[in-house]
Parts: sequence; C-alpha cells; structure tokens
Amino acid sequence: MTACDRCASPLEEGDLRCAVCALPVPVAAAPRDGTPRAQVLRCTECNAAVAFDTRVQAPLCGFCGATMTIEHPVDPIEVAELRIPFAVPRETAVLAVRGWLGRRGWFAPRALRHEAIIDSLTPLCWAGWIVDAHAQVAWTADSDLDARRSAWAPYAGKLALRFDNLCVPASRGLDHGECAALVPFYDLRRAVPVGSTIDGEEPAMIESFDAQRSAARAIVQRRIEAVARAKVEPVIPGRKFRNVHVACMLERQTTQRVALPAWVLVYRYRGSPYRAIVHGQRAEVVFGSSPTDWIKIAKLVGGILAICAIVAAILLASGAE
Amino acid sequence: MAVPSHEVSSADVRTHPSTFSCGQCGASLEFSGVRTQTCPYCTSPNFVERPPSANRPHPQFVLTFTGDGNVAKRALDRWLRTRSVFADGRLKHARVADLRGIYVPGYLYSAVAHTEYTAQIGEHYTETYTERDSDGKLVTKTRDVTRTEYRPLSGSHVGYVADIVVSASVGLSDAELAKIEPFEFLAMRRYAPALVSGWITEEWARRLDDCTRASRSKTVDEIGQRLRRFMPGDSHSDLVWRTRVDWESIDPILVPVWVLAVRYRPDKPALRVVINGQTGKVSGPTPYATWKIVLAMLVLVATAGLLVWLGNR
Repeated sequence: MTACDRCASPLEEGDLRCAVCALPVPVAAAPRDGTPRAQVLRCTECNAAVAFDTRVQAPLCGFCGATMTIEHPVDPIEVAELRIPFAVPRETAVLAVRGWLGRRGWFAPRALRHEAIIDSLTPLCWAGWIVDAHAQVAWTADSDLDARRSAWAPYAGKLALRFDNLCVPASRGLDHGECAALVPFYDLRRAVPVGSTIDGEEPAMIESFDAQRSAARAIVQRRIEAVARAKVEPVIPGRKFRNVHVACMLERQTTQRVALPAWVLVYRYRGSPYRAIVHGQRAEVVFGSSPTDWIKIAKLVGGILAICAIVAAILLASGAE
Repeated sequence: MAVPSHEVSSADVRTHPSTFSCGQCGASLEFSGVRTQTCPYCTSPNFVERPPSANRPHPQFVLTFTGDGNVAKRALDRWLRTRSVFADGRLKHARVADLRGIYVPGYLYSAVAHTEYTAQIGEHYTETYTERDSDGKLVTKTRDVTRTEYRPLSGSHVGYVADIVVSASVGLSDAELAKIEPFEFLAMRRYAPALVSGWITEEWARRLDDCTRASRSKTVDEIGQRLRRFMPGDSHSDLVWRTRVDWESIDPILVPVWVLAVRYRPDKPALRVVINGQTGKVSGPTPYATWKIVLAMLVLVATAGLLVWLGNR
C-alpha cells in the first residue's frame, strides 16, 4: 500500500485520486510509438470498428454486439478487514442481562428479573470504521466573553488535533446511540484478521457495511468534522458559545474496517418484546429497553396527589380559623 | 511546494501533421483540433494518439457520457418547458439541429489552500429604551427591533481544494462550462482511447499556464464561498481574504458535453445550448418576448394607478 504524497494518507487499490486530499495517483506513462497515426478500435470478436456506447458504458460492436472489456470506476462495497474477538461467552452474557434486569430501578416490575423470558441471544459483530488522523483545524465561534451590546462576540482560532482510534459506526442493526455506548469499552489492540478463528469462540454474524467506498468516505469525513467541533469547544474562551464552525485539513488518515462484538438479546416480559445489548468484551456493559410498572407509577402519583390534598386541606383549615 | 502531476517542457513542443489515413479504408482524414474523427467513406471511428507537447497534453482522466442523444433531447425538452413566462412562446416548439456529443478538454485542479481573512461580524441584539407613557410616567419597554453590533474578526482557514475544472477548449468557454457544472468525479476513469472512440474529442487549445491561473482564480472564489459559511455571528460584512496555494496538481481531463443548436424562429439565429453529458444540466440563452414584458409593465402600472386612485378616494 502506497501513501499519498500530499497528505500521507494510504492509497487503496483502484484509487484514481487520494480520498482525503484528491491528489491524483500517478501512473507510469506507457511508451508510445513516436509516429502518430490514425487508429481504429477493433472488435475482438469480428474485427469491425467499434465506438463507445453510453448504454453499456463500454465500446460496443454494432455488427456482432460484442462489448469490449475496459476499466470501470472502482467503488466497491466496504468489507470488514479486522474483527475483535468475543471475550464474553454466552452464559456470562445471559447472567449479565439477568443482573441488569434486576437493577432496573423502582419503576421496573419487581418480577422482571425472574419472569423475563429470553427469546434469542445472538452474537453480532457490528460494522464500524476505526480512523486515525492528524488534522489542522481552523475554527470560528461566538462567545459571551467580552460581549458588549450584543450577548455575543466573535472569536477565531487554529489548532492541531489528533484522532486516535476514532470509531465511526456503519451498523444498520444497532442505532447510533447504542454504538456510541459500546465503543469506549473495546480493546482495539486485540483485533485479528476477520477470517481467523479462535478456539472455543461461538461463530458470530458479521454485519456487512452496506456502504460503498465513496459513501463510506463521506460518512467518515462528516464524523471527523463532528468530533473536531466537539474537541474545539473547550478551547473557545468564555462560558457560553454558539455558531461553532470548523475547517479540517486531514493528514495521515488511516481507516480500518472492523467488526466489533456485541450480544444482542431479545427478551419477552408478559408478551411484549424488549431488546438489550451486552458488550462483547466487557460483560458489565449492558443496556437496552425494559418495561415500566405503570401501577407503581399510578400509586406514586396518587400518593403525591393525596399528600398535596391533605396539605391543602390543612392550610385551608388553618386559614379559616 | 508545487507538485504538477502533468509535467511537460518547452522542449516537447513539436509540430505534427493533422492529416492522417483512415485506419480502416485509408481515406484521408483531417484531425485539426480534434483527437477523433469518423471516416466519411467507411464510417469507422478513428483516433490519433499524438506525443504530448507543452500545450497539447495527453489526457489523464475522462468522464464518460451517461446517455445517448435521446437523453440529451429529453433534458432539453424539460429545460424548454421550464423557461420564464416572458420567454418567447415559440421556444417550446423549437427544433433541435446539430446535436453533438463532444469530449471537451479541460484541466482538473486541486491544491492545499491556506487563507488569512478579516471581516466585520454582525451580532444581533434587542434594543431596550425608555419612554414616557400618556400619563407622563417613565416606563421601560423592550422594542422588538433587531439591531446589529459589528465586531472585527481576523483568522485563518485551511483546507484542500479539489474538483476545480477549467475549460481548455476553443469552442466552450470557462463561463459556459461553469454553468453546467458540477460533474460527478466518482465516475471518473483513467483515459483510454476506447472511452472516446466514436465521439468528437477536441484537442487542448488553451495554454497550461493560462489554465493554471484560471484554476487559481476559481480556487479563490471557492474559498470565498467556504469563508461565508465559516463566519460566526448573525451576519458579516467587509470579508477580505488572501489565499496561498501549495501542493498544486493540474491534470488534463476530458468532460462530456452535448452541444446543440435550437432554432425557434426562422428569422432569428439558432440558439447555442450546452448540456452536461453526465447530469443532463442544461444551459443556454433565453430569448424574451418584448410584447410580454411591455404588457406586464402596463398591467403593473395600471394596477398601481388603480390602487393609488382607490386610496385617494
């Protein structure tokens, strides 16, 4: 894999230009015959002259219908290269969920831990991009510092940022919030090639990226800018700020396509389904949806209203005296 | 640091013949200003690969046509139907003449842009003032009028500039090309004669240094647009910026353009219309009907007069 001369980001096979800075990838000039002459592109089947046809996006022979094979733009569907192995076995994941159900708080049904029926527990390797990059970031914002007649004053600045192991979710199965809750707890140093097997590990479904290379790059770019904006906010002077704008110039950006482990559990409580997620490497990281005991809530509201009524009655009575 | 990926020297400048024999039947073909030519005797699509010279480079990239002439005609019909109400009515029944798909030569430019800017940033506030009411008491009222306080701001902006295309054609100016942009560079391919065979492919006619200057000018405009989005506050004025570019690259590219003549009146010259061969975006002049404009102005004046008269009554 070679690197772009301008931004030092790795180039991928089939790239005509660097995905980060758009510098064209140089190619060795083909040796040419010194004497120019008129040439005709010939059909490889019947030797007739052929022309480029827009319907097939290739030269098409008008006599025999043969199509010439030519280079097409490369924009493949993203595929995971690495995966992080499961460190939490199935039994531990079930126990973790049972424990989590027992800690759902006062508003959850008391019988939830024992009456919840586990419908399915699926090991899933969800898709994500792990990005490392350096960036020069220019920013502007409004701050309350040194404000005069208006509540805001404009500020601008510039700083160098580094993005290490920035995880950009590409999952369709897990939503963005679920991915964000899982990401901080992965040990990315344990990544192995996606095809490798580990003894005793349960086979997991590896989620496809469902995005082409070009779309992936746009998603990653947007995520980096969002993170850069968040990293700039502490630098803005003053207590309040608004209108934060960033301009990023990325360098040495590497992107790895990784499959990240999680247990996706569907359980049923009194007929209704709920979903919980257990982290694939850390069993203590569990979250999801759970039922609410509306009778408890009704009792609580009734109790509060009764107390309010009693207090009001006492106040009215004391006022009347 | 400049990295021209297209490098030629003045030593490469040579003259080459423009007449060649057809590769199929041997008939004499004139390749003046074009790289491709269809033989009038045997209809074979010929192409000529000349050695690159200072101002006639070898194409690096090509964006191919995505549809045939019928697609271009449909795009034109849509465009003709959506002209202004003041356009000449006969435009909708215009005849298309001389539809040609042309690979227009140009340069694809990219660079790193470092910009220093200054601006006046407008921050809105609500004005509070005191006044006496009808009883003569001093009261405070908040007027719902937006005032703007301008504060100076200076700073820097960094970023890559890519996808800047300038025309190197004699037939299609930069301004005309800009009107049918953007092109979709995701579909860009490395040049091969097979991609342009059978289509008119114009040769580079504009000097490289001239195109580089035009690219830099477009870069400065592009940075200006970015800066306008980059400014904080509720508004801004007096935005001035100075851009320095480095790591420039400029590569010869062929872009697909349909060029056609639209004849809407026998007593008027045909209109030249250009269509983006990838996206179908159309650009061309719109002839207006004078009587429609005069009538509209008369109606406007009559309405205004009527309203004034009614107001006076």
